[in-house]
Amino acid sequence: METVVQQLLNAAQLGAVYALIALGYSMVYGVIRLINFAHGDIFMVGGFAGLLLALRFTWMPLWALMPLAMLLTALLGVAIERVAYRRLRQAQRMSLVITALGVGIFLENLVRLGVGPETRQIPSRMPTTPVAWLQDALGVSVTWDKLLIIFVSLALMALLWAVVHRTLLGTAMRAVADDKDVVPLMGVNLNRVIAVTFAIGSALAAAGGVFFGQAYSLDPYMGIDLGWKAFIAAVIGGIGSIEGAVLGSFLLAGVEVLTVAYLSSNLKNGIAFGLLILLLLIWPSGLLGRPASKKV
Amino acid sequence: MTKTAWTALLPLLLLGACKPGGNELKIGVSAPLTGDISALGQSTKNAALLAQDEANAAGGLSVGGKTLKVRFVVEDDENKPESTATVFQKLINQDRVVAIIGSQSSKCANAGAPIAESAGIPQVTPWATNPNVTKGRKFVFRACFIDPFQGKVVAQFAAGRLKARTAAVLYDIASDYNKGIAEVFRDEFAKLGGTLAGFETYNTKDTDFSAQLTKIKAAKPDVLFLPNYFNEVPLQVQQARKLGITAPILGGDGWDNPELVKLGGGVMDGASFSNHYSPDTSDPGAQAFIAKYKARFGSVPDAAAALTYDAAQLLFKAAGTAGKAEPRALRDALAATSGFKGVTGTITYGGSGDPVKGAVMIRIENGRFVFDSAVNP
Repeated sequence: METVVQQLLNAAQLGAVYALIALGYSMVYGVIRLINFAHGDIFMVGGFAGLLLALRFTWMPLWALMPLAMLLTALLGVAIERVAYRRLRQAQRMSLVITALGVGIFLENLVRLGVGPETRQIPSRMPTTPVAWLQDALGVSVTWDKLLIIFVSLALMALLWAVVHRTLLGTAMRAVADDKDVVPLMGVNLNRVIAVTFAIGSALAAAGGVFFGQAYSLDPYMGIDLGWKAFIAAVIGGIGSIEGAVLGSFLLAGVEVLTVAYLSSNLKNGIAFGLLILLLLIWPSGLLGRPASKKV
Repeated sequence: MTKTAWTALLPLLLLGACKPGGNELKIGVSAPLTGDISALGQSTKNAALLAQDEANAAGGLSVGGKTLKVRFVVEDDENKPESTATVFQKLINQDRVVAIIGSQSSKCANAGAPIAESAGIPQVTPWATNPNVTKGRKFVFRACFIDPFQGKVVAQFAAGRLKARTAAVLYDIASDYNKGIAEVFRDEFAKLGGTLAGFETYNTKDTDFSAQLTKIKAAKPDVLFLPNYFNEVPLQVQQARKLGITAPILGGDGWDNPELVKLGGGVMDGASFSNHYSPDTSDPGAQAFIAKYKARFGSVPDAAAALTYDAAQLLFKAAGTAGKAEPRALRDALAATSGFKGVTGTITYGGSGDPVKGAVMIRIENGRFVFDSAVNP
């Protein structure tokens, strides 16, 4: 029993990090129909921003450090959109995708040269003591940082949901996602909505990066593999859908962890991705995605 | 640049590439300067440069009546097999080296070996311990022991010193070295009467091991064996401890790099691993090397550095014996090496490319690597 609970918590932590990245993929795709392949690397930069801040300002607590890293990474996301993507918005889709891949490679090498290629870890600012009541009640060894990562991530996702569904800005974002050619005619500043989308997506990825750097580790190429996983999670959930990205992430993490736990760790990726292909065969636009219909 | 300018330059480039060695002994080094184990690539490069500059400062090597300057061409293989293949091709066809040192990880040394073998260029890998690297090859040598021996040493330490009855293993299934040593440990531990409580895998670049470790925790092993590289081990130990695994932790020579403690900190204390040499050694030759390395690079050389230095000295000696800087002659001289005294022990190639050497067990105490015991084959 305690092993089951433990494994579910493992999956929740992994899923929370996947979700923080997957949201950025989904949001950007929603507004400009771009699979932003640089997003995994933005997540990586977010983690390194956290690392550099933690090393530079050793006194800074996590609740100050994380928003700062998120802010810096949000600015980076906006800058990338402004410099690399905006001029290509009307170009053919392939140009944008290639540019995104190029931006990703640029970021990887920038960090490799600037910080170094070694595996690093953010000195933990979270309590790593075991949670006593969980230990006593269920016999589960969980440290506080794991619970914090899960709950803060969920809180950030709830905040995002509120912004998208309860504010004027969110309404504008959803309108752009619906039809980005008509929205400017209604007096909405399209460039600003897109910039804000990039800012929010990058900030969430940075939050994921800071958590990841403390719970696991950082290296300049980590964004590639994790970016793919998060992208796949977003597709499973239905790319463009915020709820879908979260659902897909927890689903992917759950399948991965449970495969290792009850089948075999050799089969982790095989079974996880085999199942996901099956899912997509049944729901081609993802669990919560809307089927793409073209108006004639 | 215009097309005509390129055409004009082309003969020059070809000429440069084909120019014979002349008065130098040109040796290629394939090292993981970037990528996951880049810290180890750096110590490889350091040791190679140290050997090169030492030889040249002494006036060069005396080879067949001529004095040759030593020149190492160091290339980055990123610790990727496919990049290693490219590096070997470049070193052989473009730089025209007479021998290659490297690469370090078994998967990369194994990717370069067929190329060196078919080109007839002797290859000495300092650190690749997987038996397949030299198997059936005439031109491939190594400066280290092999995993069937190392796995046995660790299994004996677990069953003997730690009196473990059950053991669990977590290893990278996508890497030759990790997989090889894990399997040897499994078999040797069983031979010693132990039971395997868990045999779990992950893939290179995974960072979340919590699912595997939770499973291992439920099996309550007496000892946990992590035969993986130094850049991943601290994360695995950290996650194991956080999940409440208190069993002692063991590792192999893949642990030996200062990064292990830098990344892991106090969590690594109390763990032990098998290695090629210990910086605590009382051997005067080894102490001289350690002192020189420390003075120039400011850190204690890891085993990969010591073995790279040994590989370089092996080649220097072979060149002297052969009397000419020619690949085939070098290969024959290398194969005849007997009783060569290096930093990491004595090397004799008895008909194969694998020397028979002893191992040491090292214990981590307050972030320092402390000599525990020596095991001879």
